[in-house]
Amino acid sequence: MSRINTTLRSKKILIDQFAHQGLKTLALLSASFIFLIGSVILVKGLTPFLTDNDGLGRVGLIPFITGNVWLIDPTFQSSLYSVGFLIITTLYIVFLSLLISFPVGVLTALFIAKIAPKKLAECFRSVVEILASIPSIIYGLFGAGFILKIVYQMSQLVGVQSKGGNSVLSTVIILALMTIPTITTVSEVAIRSVDQRLIEGSLALGASFTQTNFKVVLTAAKSGIFTAAILGVGRALGEATAVSLVAGGRRSGLSFDLLDTTATLTTTMLEGMKESQGLDYNIRFSVGMVLLVVILITNFLLNLIKRKVGKIHVK
Amino acid sequence: MSNKRKAQDFLLQFGTYFAAFFSFATLSLIIFFIFTNGVKLLNLDLITHDYQAKTHIAEPLAPNDTDYFEPEETLKAEVYYSPRWGLGLIDSIDLMGKTQVEIAYVHPSSPFQQLHDKGLSHELLSLKPDMMIIRIAYSDQPSSLARYGAEQMIDELALSNQIRELEFTIPGGGIRGSIITTFYLIVFSLLFALPIGIGAAIYLNEYAKNNRFTRLLRSFIELLTGVPSIIYGLMGLAFFVPFIINVSSATSGSILSGSMTMAVILLPVVIRTTEESLKVVPDEYRQGSLALGASKTQTTFRIVLPGAFPGVLSATLLAIGRIIGESAALVFAIGTAIKDDIRVTEQSTSLAVHIWAMMTDEPANIELSSTIAIIILLIVLLLNLLIKLLTRRFLRKVSAPR
Amino acid sequence: MTAQNPIVFQIENLNLFYGEKQALKEISIAIYEKEVTALIGPSGCGKSTFLRVLNRMNDLIDSCHITGNVTYHDQDIYQPKTDVNGLRKSVGMVFQKPNPFPMSIQDNLIYGPKCQGIRDRFLLKQIVEQSLKQAALWDEVKDRLKESALALSGGQQQRLCIARTIAMKPEVILMDEPTSALDPVATAKIEDLISSLKQDYTIIIVTHNMQQAARISDKTAFFLMGELIEYGDANQLFSTPENKKTEEYITGRFG
Repeated sequence: MSRINTTLRSKKILIDQFAHQGLKTLALLSASFIFLIGSVILVKGLTPFLTDNDGLGRVGLIPFITGNVWLIDPTFQSSLYSVGFLIITTLYIVFLSLLISFPVGVLTALFIAKIAPKKLAECFRSVVEILASIPSIIYGLFGAGFILKIVYQMSQLVGVQSKGGNSVLSTVIILALMTIPTITTVSEVAIRSVDQRLIEGSLALGASFTQTNFKVVLTAAKSGIFTAAILGVGRALGEATAVSLVAGGRRSGLSFDLLDTTATLTTTMLEGMKESQGLDYNIRFSVGMVLLVVILITNFLLNLIKRKVGKIHVK
Repeated sequence: MSNKRKAQDFLLQFGTYFAAFFSFATLSLIIFFIFTNGVKLLNLDLITHDYQAKTHIAEPLAPNDTDYFEPEETLKAEVYYSPRWGLGLIDSIDLMGKTQVEIAYVHPSSPFQQLHDKGLSHELLSLKPDMMIIRIAYSDQPSSLARYGAEQMIDELALSNQIRELEFTIPGGGIRGSIITTFYLIVFSLLFALPIGIGAAIYLNEYAKNNRFTRLLRSFIELLTGVPSIIYGLMGLAFFVPFIINVSSATSGSILSGSMTMAVILLPVVIRTTEESLKVVPDEYRQGSLALGASKTQTTFRIVLPGAFPGVLSATLLAIGRIIGESAALVFAIGTAIKDDIRVTEQSTSLAVHIWAMMTDEPANIELSSTIAIIILLIVLLLNLLIKLLTRRFLRKVSAPR
Repeated sequence: MTAQNPIVFQIENLNLFYGEKQALKEISIAIYEKEVTALIGPSGCGKSTFLRVLNRMNDLIDSCHITGNVTYHDQDIYQPKTDVNGLRKSVGMVFQKPNPFPMSIQDNLIYGPKCQGIRDRFLLKQIVEQSLKQAALWDEVKDRLKESALALSGGQQQRLCIARTIAMKPEVILMDEPTSALDPVATAKIEDLISSLKQDYTIIIVTHNMQQAARISDKTAFFLMGELIEYGDANQLFSTPENKKTEEYITGRFG
């Protein structure tokens, strides 16, 4: 029996089991944070709808989601909080920004992956990487100090009084600039992984290089490019500080005017919190809840479209 | 080949060039904007000074009994010097464009070296270069004011025998507090995030069986990546802020609550990067170690983890970049009060939140914001470069043997 | 036949499955002390899998499970309370590809003893020297013990791995095609080493190379499709094989 030394055995096994359980606990802890986030937002966010809010009155769920006003004056009244117009403007702004960032991002990716000479591609890749790593607050600063002035001067040219440039347009531009690197990076990977044989096949059929790039490569990389767009939309929807510096903090009324001030769900959350409890505090969690729901629904719909689109063509 | 097709091809091709150029132009514009606005405030004083300016009213401790102070260094031509008081002044202009009088030189034995604070503190003060003189009041003649410039102040000073009191400002606008806060944030966030994240990554990659439970764990952690940082901020505000208030002397958001919130944001990044580097460690090392009778724990911590070290290091650098750039979450989880005395149980701002606080103030301070932005940008670029070098070396090292 | 050495491993009716797939079928075999036992057969025949049964390296594969009896000095090594680390300490293993750890030569050698809790510097130094000498590597590396093991040539790396195993003072050394990644010169050195190690250790070696098996082994086992076809004295098996399949394989008809 003495061939296998057993003196160290129990200690080693104990340590092994201890390490295993310890590490497992850490993994469980990491995974549990998503539930912590979910429950905190839910508990705090639902409070305004379920309680009397210390005499200010219960907030109605339907008016909250469909309403057109976000508390204008300091007379705290629960009926004055609503995010209907914010949901619409948020989606409107994100859509417009995608209208800019998607084509620019994808074409930049195509340029880097297929068209540019190797050295130039390397250089542009670095440019995109740097853009991706610039913190959003710096985009916000750039927006507040540069884009606002440009938009302000432009609006004066067309004879519109814009409030220092704080507008839908500025917000859209900033969001577009911020999402371009995300879209470029992800779609570049997709474009580069397109099967070389497909490209050769197209060229062999007499298609020009450019035609091949646009018709074959982009189509084949479609799924990846769509993922890029989804990520871009995700980033745009959740962006807060940069947008809050250029939006102008609109408090009521839906407006699609490009040069009018605006607000999004995130900027409204950030704006002037006065209390650390009570309605004005809890209602931000309600907005957060709405934001999460908007993100989830948008993601779900986009993924649905992606699956549908993906089925029609190759890959 | 038709001309039409050629034209079409050219247009499409041009489109890609234009798009790529657009990205390039954006980067150049941002850098240009930040540098032109921020570079003039970029100096060492910025890093060492407090943000809040401090104004003192004081009187000389002893009467002036010497008559002549020879300056011990050669003064610049534009400095006005009073040999009688041993004080050199210079004209300067503040950020609002107003004239002010700056101290350029104080003689070591000048009466201004020892001043008695007439305010609440009663501490001993002394004039130092870079401070601003607002007003000097005399017992025997009308006061001299800063707005008339340095020359007149020196002339009037020369005529007087006794100074009743003088008012001066230690200039603010420095970001020392925010730099310290950012540093604390980095240290504490990593202290929370690295052990948990690396441990979780080790469990997922080395211990967990590939079953439904593990896949579920993974997808929950992956879900964290998609949560916007402002939502993390709300979570920090509602969970970590009260938690820290309960366990410490904090009364509001604090660096500690901010760090914990930040740690949760960092977790998915740390876990993913660490796991990727664990995957690159060849299986032969694990088998070799186990075949020598080493236990699983010994194998993991003595062979696998050291092998993945460069990956863990780049995870750390990525995390630092994220901490420095984060603003939305910290606005909620710490607060936006810019402070000079930093305590981990109190509110203060990181560099990024400092920018946000100033930009949402009236009037927005674009110059100082840009200066801070330059600092942030340089750090972020440096981190990126380090990560790139590290990844390249890591790949070479792992693929080189045999 | 001369008097048999004592039995080290006794395997009876061993079946091994990867999930649904059976990789070893009804293997019964006895391994004798201080002999070189070679396992031969075409690739995928289960010889490496069998080798890994003996130090339970198959435990690393989740889907793997076995039936039957595997005893090491009359101890069932697949009992739940078996000390696997202790088993692997007594039954060392050398792998197909040399796998020195990315640390210095010296650290490679003292890694195992350190994991066993040996801290005595002098003792560790002794272990380094002894095991390197036994592995015939001492003269080549004695001046650069602090250098990275990855800087050694392939053959040296493999001998270092053998030295690393010896440093644990095992009783049995399992070798999984230890020369397949090496050039002929390095191979010859390893073969010489194996012959000299035989005096102190029981060696079980998996090899692709029949000449090698004939040169160095005392006993040879021929595996085919997860079954043990023939097992016996090496000389006998290579000169007058009993089974027709064995004959076909060693004469190069297939495999």
